[in-house]
Amino acid sequence: MNKNLLLARSNIRKAKGQTAAIIVLVLLSSLMMNLWLMLGTDYKKNFDRTYDRLNDGHVTIAVYHADDELISFTEDMLKKRSDVTEYCVTETMGWVGFFEYNGGEINSNFIFLDKETALSRNVGKFEITEDGGGSGLYLPMLYGNDYSIGDEIELSVGSETLRYTVCGFFNSASVGSHNCSVCAMILTKDKYDELSRLGTIPSETFISVRIDDKTKSEAVETELKGLIEEYTDVPFVSSSYVLVSSSRYISQSICASILSAMAFLITLIAAVVVSSNVMNYIHEDMQNLGALKAVGYRSGELISALISQFSGIALLTAAIGTALSYTIFPALNEMMIAQTGIPYSMRFLPIPCAVTLVFTVTVVAAAVFFSAKRIRKIEPITALRHGIQTHSFRKNHVPLDKTAAPLNFALALKNVFSEKKRNVTIAVTMLVLSLVIVFSSVMLDNFVLDEHKFVDLVIGVTEDALIDVLPTSEEELKDALQSDPRVEKYYLFTSTYVTHAGGVSLMATVCDDCQKITNQGVIVEGRFPKYDNEVAVAIKYSREKGLRIGDEISFTTGSNEEKYIISGYTQLSNNLGKDCLLTRGGFERVAKLGNCSYYIDLSDGTDIDAFCEEITEPFSGEVNGAMNIASIIEGTGRVYISLITVIVIAVLILSGVIVVFVMYLLVRTILNAKKRDYGVYKALGFTTGQLIIQTALSFMPPMIIFTALGLTLGSFVINPLMALFLGGIGIVKCTFAVPLCFNVIAGAGIVLFAFGAACLMSLRIRKIVPRKLLSGE
Amino acid sequence: MKEILLKTEGLSKSFSSGGALQHVLKNVDLKLYKGDFTVIMGASGAGKSTLLYALSGMDTPSLGKITFGDRVISDLSSDGLAVFRREHCGFVFQQIYLIDSMSVFDNVMAAGLLVNSDKRALAERAKKLFAAVDIPEETQRKFPTQISGGEAQRAGIVRALINSPEILFADEPTGALNSQTGLDVLNTLTEFNEQGQSVVMVTHDMRSAWRGNRILYLKDGSILGECDLGKYEPNNSERHEKLAAFLAKMGW
Repeated sequence: MNKNLLLARSNIRKAKGQTAAIIVLVLLSSLMMNLWLMLGTDYKKNFDRTYDRLNDGHVTIAVYHADDELISFTEDMLKKRSDVTEYCVTETMGWVGFFEYNGGEINSNFIFLDKETALSRNVGKFEITEDGGGSGLYLPMLYGNDYSIGDEIELSVGSETLRYTVCGFFNSASVGSHNCSVCAMILTKDKYDELSRLGTIPSETFISVRIDDKTKSEAVETELKGLIEEYTDVPFVSSSYVLVSSSRYISQSICASILSAMAFLITLIAAVVVSSNVMNYIHEDMQNLGALKAVGYRSGELISALISQFSGIALLTAAIGTALSYTIFPALNEMMIAQTGIPYSMRFLPIPCAVTLVFTVTVVAAAVFFSAKRIRKIEPITALRHGIQTHSFRKNHVPLDKTAAPLNFALALKNVFSEKKRNVTIAVTMLVLSLVIVFSSVMLDNFVLDEHKFVDLVIGVTEDALIDVLPTSEEELKDALQSDPRVEKYYLFTSTYVTHAGGVSLMATVCDDCQKITNQGVIVEGRFPKYDNEVAVAIKYSREKGLRIGDEISFTTGSNEEKYIISGYTQLSNNLGKDCLLTRGGFERVAKLGNCSYYIDLSDGTDIDAFCEEITEPFSGEVNGAMNIASIIEGTGRVYISLITVIVIAVLILSGVIVVFVMYLLVRTILNAKKRDYGVYKALGFTTGQLIIQTALSFMPPMIIFTALGLTLGSFVINPLMALFLGGIGIVKCTFAVPLCFNVIAGAGIVLFAFGAACLMSLRIRKIVPRKLLSGE
Repeated sequence: MKEILLKTEGLSKSFSSGGALQHVLKNVDLKLYKGDFTVIMGASGAGKSTLLYALSGMDTPSLGKITFGDRVISDLSSDGLAVFRREHCGFVFQQIYLIDSMSVFDNVMAAGLLVNSDKRALAERAKKLFAAVDIPEETQRKFPTQISGGEAQRAGIVRALINSPEILFADEPTGALNSQTGLDVLNTLTEFNEQGQSVVMVTHDMRSAWRGNRILYLKDGSILGECDLGKYEPNNSERHEKLAAFLAKMGW
């Protein structure tokens, strides 16, 4: 057998427990890393594959009108462009609506297609993933986790309530979710004809365009919208490949970020633990190392034996961790599909595997190499005779005759000062775990327990209800709202689009009185626009384009162009950070409003659904939609809440596991290194209980200090960190409340848990007997 | 009539080794008296250290009874024995075993604080004991790795005596020392014994055994014989000859 393997085998035999604990940490880190790489790379590529398989449109536009003239204009417009490779223009029906989902409601711009037309499109194809046959509605497969074939579904579209039987599910990359600007619904031929005959749903021109460079989809979308605006003032909605690919992968993006952070943090802990282990090994095996040097082993050979040992373990463990990640991935995939709505078939991914293995082994090998360098300094004779003193005690910390601390605590404190390397391991572990606690507490407090805080940040403006009417009925609606005693306040808050000259299409939110907005935190810097020449621009977009408060910015709609001064930065995730906020007068400088959405705050206890029904009744055909916003938030938020809950539970369990294994390693190392001292203490009359408490107590000072430090630092860095995670959806500045009380309790909990774990691990002290100290016969 | 400090009745100790039971101590009946300097001698494997473990409460017998005063200690739990050791026994080890991470002074205080919480009184006693064994204050503040073997062993004796134990157990206390420092340690033990400290010492060094007033000779787990040498007198050749004759008789 190779001499390195012989040495490695001998070392592993001597430290089975420590090896096992390192295995667990490496296993967890490799598992997380491979999950992250799978989710972060191939999962997103799967979207592209689906996009290509369905030959989906890089730009999708739904114009709320359809006639031969418009279709002809659209086709001419697309034919003229050299960057358009393929397109499909379909005459169909659609309007804003909502339906019940996950106990809440989902709202979107719905387009209704008949099955035959949907399946025959050359661009923006649909594929039926489940077909129960019969007559009714095919839903995007995203909603399959709440609806089954045969279920009845009620869609409220405009002022119409449509009831269908779910007869299947379909897959579409560009219009298969409420997270896209447009959400398709496929009807069987009979139901489509029935809806068409009803005549209450506007006709619609559904345009799917493929271009030669999908990365330019936003620019092409803006240009096409500009041309349509010039041609007609009919409202329309649109989306681009860039927007859809981001919006459908919000959960995946957040989850991948969290997994990557956890993977790196656990790898860091594993590296520190390996390093501490190697240093202890050198300390304990000084004489053996001296003996090996004496028989001719070179320092390099001894170091490489250690590297082989740990790298070998890391490689095998990382391989197992990687394999394990494939067993966990299906569950994660299920959760992700509930948000993306895009099916993903798991397959073996060699590159993430290779990266996981190489990264893990490299980190472990580097940790061993840097910790084992001191082997070079071991002189065989010195090591054989006395060993080398690894401690150079210069100061007698906590002198027992002077300290006021009780004996056991004083002795524990002495250990704290004499075990600096151990303190480093505790410091890294507790700093990392504290950050995890702060993250969990922020998620729990701002999301799981009270989703409104998260909603305020992510959605921005929410009230109880929204009523959208045509401009012709606006004054009447305002009068009705003004006289209704249930209405606390109402304001115009309508979303439309403007084009930033030299930039892209921005979602423009038009508000007639920004001071009425309940969540004033929508403005993260500067102030709301007051005057008609002012605009508040999304902070993400402003940063991307280098726009500062006070800068002048030009917006166009159709052929109109006007200049505005930036009064502040908004943070809304409506359009993934590409939006702006204008006063009504400000918007009307470039265009007229096609519809008027009023956000309404109702008095407590009001039945929102009943209110919406009653208030819209007199307007009938003039109402585009009435929504129970609270219910919609509940419906869309539930997917995220369950995902975040799972993540929080997982990271907390993981933290507990890490604490147990780190404590195991530390206690085992102490018991091995100080077995003699424990024997002496016992001989002097210390009881096993006293020694267990003393050992566990010796971890507490650094644990408490670094947990407190970690919680404090974590409280400061959590918002920037969360902004990093949420950057993809337009959030660049987080203002989550950090629940101090929860953090203190959780911090104390983890320290007590660690104390308990240390006590349990220290039970081995019972087996240390003082008689072993006496001379042999 | 001497006061009995510790008494064994039918003390036996067996170890299981490779499936076979090895009887190391066999029915040992023994009385240790207050103020004595008892020396346990015997060849390697005779059971000297095993007897010391049992007498000092570091180990429990397989059979038999050990009584300290009127208290049976052989039935005590491991924690009960720990409390017994801290209150009644002092230990001096061959390998000294001072705790490296503590100063010499703190090594003594750590043992003392187990019994006495009056730090000031304890520190005073420690200082007196250090003075008695000729360890200056500067050395007391050093760490064990910074002092000589002789100093360390004398500090070990101070640690053993800090709680004024009824019995001081010494296991080959000069075994790891050179002859001069070994002599210093023996002188220290003798001085404390002369002040009334009961000492039980295991040794196979005749020069060390000479310090005792009572010599027990162990062979194959039983006390083969004992010799009363009387009070230690450095220049008493008759005493020396008596010990030599006893050991010769025992087959030493």
